[in-house]
Amino acid sequence: MASTEVTNTINSEWLEFAPLIILLPMMTFAVILFLGRVFNGNPFWKNTMKEGGLIALPVMGLSLLLSLLLISEFLGGFNPLKVFDPATVDKLAWVNSGVWDGGSNLESVSFSFGIYVDHVTVMLLFVAAFLCLLINTFSIGYMNTDPINDNRNHRFYAEFVLFCSGMLGMVLADSFLWLFIFWEIMGLCSYLLIGFYYERPSAASAAKKAFLTTRIGDVFLMVGLVMLWDLFGSLDYAIVFNEENIAAVAENSAGTLQWALGLMFIGAVGKSAQFPLHVWLPDAMEGPTPVSALIHAATMVNAGLYLVARMFPFFGAEALHGDLDDLAFIIAAIGGITAVMAAAIAFVQMDLKKVLAYSTMSQLAYIFTGLGCAMYLANTLDWHHDDDAHYIVVVAFGAALFHLFNHAMAKGMLFMASGSVIHEVHHAHHHLHHHDEHGDGHHDDHHDDDFDAQSMENMGGLASKMPITATAMLVGSASIMGLPLIGGFWSKEGIIANAWRVAQDDPRFFLPAICVLLGAAMTGFYMSRMWFKTFAGKPNNEVAAHVGPTNTWIKTPLFILTFVTLSSVIFAGLGFTHWASENSYELGQDGFLHGLQHEFEHAFANTDAFFFVLTYVAILLGAVIGPGLAMALYGGKLADGEEAKPWMRPVIQLSAWVRKRFHFDNSAFAESTLATALENRLYIDEYYDKAMVNIVAAFSSKAAETDSEVIDGTIKAIESGSQSLSSFIRSMTTGSARDYILMVAVGTLSIFMLIWGVA
Amino acid sequence: MIDPALVSALSALMFVIGLGGAFTRKNAIIVLMCIELMLNAANMQFAAAAVHHGDTTGWVYTLFAIAIAASEVAIGLAIFLAVYGQHETISLDDVDVLKN
Repeated sequence: MASTEVTNTINSEWLEFAPLIILLPMMTFAVILFLGRVFNGNPFWKNTMKEGGLIALPVMGLSLLLSLLLISEFLGGFNPLKVFDPATVDKLAWVNSGVWDGGSNLESVSFSFGIYVDHVTVMLLFVAAFLCLLINTFSIGYMNTDPINDNRNHRFYAEFVLFCSGMLGMVLADSFLWLFIFWEIMGLCSYLLIGFYYERPSAASAAKKAFLTTRIGDVFLMVGLVMLWDLFGSLDYAIVFNEENIAAVAENSAGTLQWALGLMFIGAVGKSAQFPLHVWLPDAMEGPTPVSALIHAATMVNAGLYLVARMFPFFGAEALHGDLDDLAFIIAAIGGITAVMAAAIAFVQMDLKKVLAYSTMSQLAYIFTGLGCAMYLANTLDWHHDDDAHYIVVVAFGAALFHLFNHAMAKGMLFMASGSVIHEVHHAHHHLHHHDEHGDGHHDDHHDDDFDAQSMENMGGLASKMPITATAMLVGSASIMGLPLIGGFWSKEGIIANAWRVAQDDPRFFLPAICVLLGAAMTGFYMSRMWFKTFAGKPNNEVAAHVGPTNTWIKTPLFILTFVTLSSVIFAGLGFTHWASENSYELGQDGFLHGLQHEFEHAFANTDAFFFVLTYVAILLGAVIGPGLAMALYGGKLADGEEAKPWMRPVIQLSAWVRKRFHFDNSAFAESTLATALENRLYIDEYYDKAMVNIVAAFSSKAAETDSEVIDGTIKAIESGSQSLSSFIRSMTTGSARDYILMVAVGTLSIFMLIWGVA
Repeated sequence: MIDPALVSALSALMFVIGLGGAFTRKNAIIVLMCIELMLNAANMQFAAAAVHHGDTTGWVYTLFAIAIAASEVAIGLAIFLAVYGQHETISLDDVDVLKN
């Protein structure tokens, strides 16, 4: 993975255009904002241009196209060994600056911008560009059909494209410095978009919470970057990933390096909403649903994972062998804890988007666990020389990255589907209650009166009314649950297997290993619960009975993503599970069928007895027990006369049968302390509030006291002192010209005498 | 040829007379005349130094100083006119708006 091992350098034509991937959306930001200001309310702008949506769409399409060209060139067709050497790319010098070296010298340092492309970049680049385009399409159907957004959608689209530019820039950047800059651009856009409905106090405070919580992590990230700079004298990937440089640093400051990476990991924890900095993500659901889909499910929250994946060259370096295993354990443990905690909270949430938010946290935690285990393996195995060890490391890292891919696709789709449901439930409610009673048809708030369009209490039995949405949700849930052959199955199995592999080697890892196995069952339960409560059974109320199908702008991305998620098996066969390896890159190397056979053998007929059993235990937990419990509690037939599509019919019938056969009363649990605690998110927000009041507020009041007494006191003393001095001096001005002449004469004489005296 | 030292002494005397007048008189025109006297004392000092060193630079300074003194008098008188327009007096004791 380190740049010195890069075998081939190619002079790429498309790499030249790579900066456009970032710059185009960034310029569109200004264009949409400007045009939106000028043409606000203009019917052409509003109806034909969709208030900027149709400007953003082709730009995102162009970004995706350029990304695809870059990716296809990277994959290099028939020669998969081609890798870009970042050192050869002409860089745009950004700032030339002097840096004090601590002694008496100023070193000249050039902060330059370049593009760095490797396997991790390519994976994230595709995910980001592809989902930005699809969610842009979805936004046109979602945002522009709701009167509450009228005449301010340009703000949404402008911030949306700026966010895309930040995400793509972060992925393509060639140094940790630029990564950090784009990281903060994303943080800003996240803040602005969560607070899109800023007139709602809950949205405004959610935006503030998200911004401040991630900022805590970012401060640590910045300190980590400064330490890294101190060690390497640069933040460019080409320099910090260089084997020789790492070896030089490893010689006497491996411990410092581990601290630097650990601090950077805290930044990743904040951005990816992991315990203990996870509190902002559920609140962030106050933003419009496309924002939740793009930023808080599919792309921005992956930034933390990307940062950790970027650290791989340190963990994999021979010179640091065995030095970083503690950090790898911390990464895996944070992942494991968050996976179980978030899944448990998702059990009791009634808000459709909140369930998905906790599911996002839980799945990101899986990826962190996967990355942590891969890092541990890379750091402790002799994978540079031993082919078997090499394969293990590559597969472990690949599983985490592949899960990132699967999760982004599935979760982006689930959020869009949930948006589709919420949108239509809201419209049905609007149609029923306001059109008929008032006849003015003018009411435009998602949270008007007491009706909550996001609550699953107001849904049920929607499978027949919204077939495409229901299918997308079904496939997405199956992918997240890891139902065999669909989507996340291929990667989740890999993560669980690797966690246990590492646990056999290092007993500390039993914690994350047990957590991810338990989490599989929990995922199965809460995802199924969400689907059955929303789409199966009888409609819960009159509103749910009147929901209609959604519009084409919303259906199209759902349709596309359904197929992407279903074709995960093809990606697996193509070798995506060995995604990140620098010299035994195996995409399509032995042919598709061979790859597929290999994956199936690995997944279902592992020769190692332990992993064979583990696989089936995981499938049993995630695909049978979890969904089975959900069916027993929440399954049920549709209302009479309603007919679901043929591919959903067996699922609903099965759920009805399971419910009839195994239904049990769970009210004892629902009223227990644990359930109440889960509903209150384990009181973590309250703890933080209390900590704030006790520590921060106390500190603040002391600081305010110091400010008003010590600092203000000093300033006031200076002020009154100078005032009395000046009134004394003022008394010397008599206004008489002769006195002034006298003063001039005496003064001049004194100066002469002084000069004379000195001379 | 007069001894430059004597010229120098005369210049010093003239300067002191000018300074004393400037201190004591309250008519602005007389004060201005006293200032001119001091200026001329300085000119005379330049001339004395020029003779003493046998250098013409002193004479050049004197010429410049005379020209400047002429324009200064013009400005001074203009100021007095303006002051008189405002205060209807040019007695320096009565013009004390800069006080405190």
